[in-house]
Amino acid sequence: MTRLSAPGLPEEAIRKRARTGREAAFPPRASYGRRLFGATGQTAGQRHDALDALRLVPPVFMPQRLEKLVELGREPVYQDVALDSAIGGFRSPLPVFITAFGSTRAASGDLGVPLSRQAARLGLPMVIGENIVPVNGYGRLAQTPDSASLLARISAYVQEVPEGYGGVVVQQCTEDADAEVWNLVYSDPAAQPLVESGRLAFELKVGQGAKPGLGGMTLVDRSTAEQLRDHYELDAVFGPGTAEAATGGDGEGASLSYLRSSSPGTFTEEILRQQVRLLRNNYPQARIWVKLHPGRDVAQAATVAWRAGADAVTVDGAEGGTGWAPLAFLDGVGLPLVECLHRIGSPAGDLLASGRMWEGSRAVKAIALGATAVGLGRAALLAVDEDTESGLERFVACLALELRLLIGALGKYSPRAVGREDIWPTPDPTARTGHDEQRSLHDESV
Amino acid sequence: MPLNPSPTAGQEQAFVPPQPHEHLTSATTRNMLLIQSALLQGAREYLCDEGFVELLPPVVGPVTDPGCRGAKQVDIDYYGRRYKLMTSVIFYKQAALLAHPKIFYIAPCVRLEPFTTSSTLRHLTEFHQIDVEAADTSREEMLEICQGVVRGALQRVIKQLPYVLDELGRDPGAFTDLLQQSFPSIRHMDVVETLHKLGHEQNPDGEIDWEGEALISRQHTRPFFITDYPKGSRGFPDRESRTLPGRLRNFDLVAPEGYGELCSGSEREGDYTRVIERMRETGENPAKYEWYLKTFKEGGIPQSAGFGLGAQRLTRYAAGLHSVWQASAFPKLPGVMAP
Repeated sequence: MTRLSAPGLPEEAIRKRARTGREAAFPPRASYGRRLFGATGQTAGQRHDALDALRLVPPVFMPQRLEKLVELGREPVYQDVALDSAIGGFRSPLPVFITAFGSTRAASGDLGVPLSRQAARLGLPMVIGENIVPVNGYGRLAQTPDSASLLARISAYVQEVPEGYGGVVVQQCTEDADAEVWNLVYSDPAAQPLVESGRLAFELKVGQGAKPGLGGMTLVDRSTAEQLRDHYELDAVFGPGTAEAATGGDGEGASLSYLRSSSPGTFTEEILRQQVRLLRNNYPQARIWVKLHPGRDVAQAATVAWRAGADAVTVDGAEGGTGWAPLAFLDGVGLPLVECLHRIGSPAGDLLASGRMWEGSRAVKAIALGATAVGLGRAALLAVDEDTESGLERFVACLALELRLLIGALGKYSPRAVGREDIWPTPDPTARTGHDEQRSLHDESV
Repeated sequence: MPLNPSPTAGQEQAFVPPQPHEHLTSATTRNMLLIQSALLQGAREYLCDEGFVELLPPVVGPVTDPGCRGAKQVDIDYYGRRYKLMTSVIFYKQAALLAHPKIFYIAPCVRLEPFTTSSTLRHLTEFHQIDVEAADTSREEMLEICQGVVRGALQRVIKQLPYVLDELGRDPGAFTDLLQQSFPSIRHMDVVETLHKLGHEQNPDGEIDWEGEALISRQHTRPFFITDYPKGSRGFPDRESRTLPGRLRNFDLVAPEGYGELCSGSEREGDYTRVIERMRETGENPAKYEWYLKTFKEGGIPQSAGFGLGAQRLTRYAAGLHSVWQASAFPKLPGVMAP
């Protein structure tokens, strides 16, 4: 297996969490008693963007801690924070889900199935990305499903997920619509345990954070390009005569001459509204999610989706990861996640946030700004890459510990109780606080 | 405990129809087949008398009707390209109007329906439709034609096969209202309101769900039309009302006594730009419909209206059968392997 890298993230810190689990939330044990700690101004990977720059600010007076004290009959501690969360119609043991990985090579074959297995054991909802069926196949008629196929990922998840938790969310893009991915999954025997237990969702992908306004992209070799020509746009960006081809590129990538692009799809308010309604109409037993890129009208788009009946809207900030994107997009296009959350304000439904999620403070800040849960993308893949048996499980154990420590420090005992008052600088003095109030708004409007 | 990963999950309670040698030799099946034949003769006679030309139905093509609630289309390998078995011949009906302005097919349809449909008593994966289309025709005119087809078909049965109905225990009196009075039309929004009053939670933006349909069907003594479905419930060929945006100029025909939907139809969208927009609103990729769009734009497919009336569903209603599988000689139910 080729080792993954993710230069936009603190890769070594993530891998350490995948190796060592909860202890990675603290400095090395050997330094205890010999080193004194204080603010460094910057810890690994932090202060990378506007979300990192915010601080969580526990108050001195904590009425909700008093409530917990009365409930328990003893002083509450961080272990009393209940992380159990409802995410887009599913139940999760913490406010975390696994975001989409599609046909991109980094998530294919070697990592897709181990990721599914570990996410399932954890009971975390998991999104399976677009383009898998046209590129890697569904896998139904094969004697042994290809490990990259959609069926292999769904089956691995179904075999391990505990009762009552988790769920599989299947994306479909324009090219997937030709392959009827949703129809296929909805009527597949392997997916029936998910359908019958209310743990199947379909996600309408409007866009993604790393390349707003563009569709999915992968690099493929000539023979794959020929197979895909009927379904995708193919551009010989690294083809014969290019500088990259002349130097031979690097290793395995040298034969990948073609850029395969999905169309991003055309959306207007009416198109989004009607697509969500049609999804609800056609798949009454499935939940409906919508994934938005960090567009300037993200608040308006989220509102349209919720009003049309979407069970969750995921906003993928411009910091979000991807298997492949033009360089010009990575640092120069799309709204940062924190600005998306500001623009959305009090969400009228389940708002899921993704973009460089890898440690607890970032997650709690996103939740304080209105998110119901955060999505792990590249960090989850790196964790599985580090250890295909248990890397993600250790990584999530560390994250859960941090969430409990941080939320408990705010004098609160569930993610839903965290609000904008817990953030400094205070983002919007007129914004309402705490998610419970926002939820009542949601109940009225949807 | 993990979920049951068995590949046959979801099929455990599925009903398996009897073997062909038992099914085909039963008195019920033999009588049903006589009724079905008479129904088709009656429908053909009515349509031919009205000037419709019967065409032979296409079976495969690069695209087929996408407007089938959650049902998977059957892909076939056609010389290395993906072709589809027809879920309905809707696009071919519209194109065929370039040859004759009034046409019909008795067409086979294959839809891999979700397992949930196995509880409705009226879903088969392989069935036939009396598929009618007429150029320059309004929905209201098409409702008259649809009513004429159903009446013509049933009159043939009542006239020719009263003893068969008797053997099946079907009282011909069940069709008295149908033959004497026109079928009422009820708007979708009014059906929703009625269902809400009955305490049934019906999504106002979607299809009338199966439970709701059964409730409303039992309140009637003759077939009735439901019109003006909301946009998010149907495929792109159904034309959106210009005076009631968000509502479609379409209809379903619902049989009384709990038998439920027999037929769906609509005025077709006749404006090229609107067809493309409606494709996107229904999540479709216009590139996939290249031949249809080209024929539409360059060939000048006329504005039309039409419907598809389920032959097995009509048979079930006429013969008073419990389930639609009894109205097929070789029934195929969702997820059940059968000859």
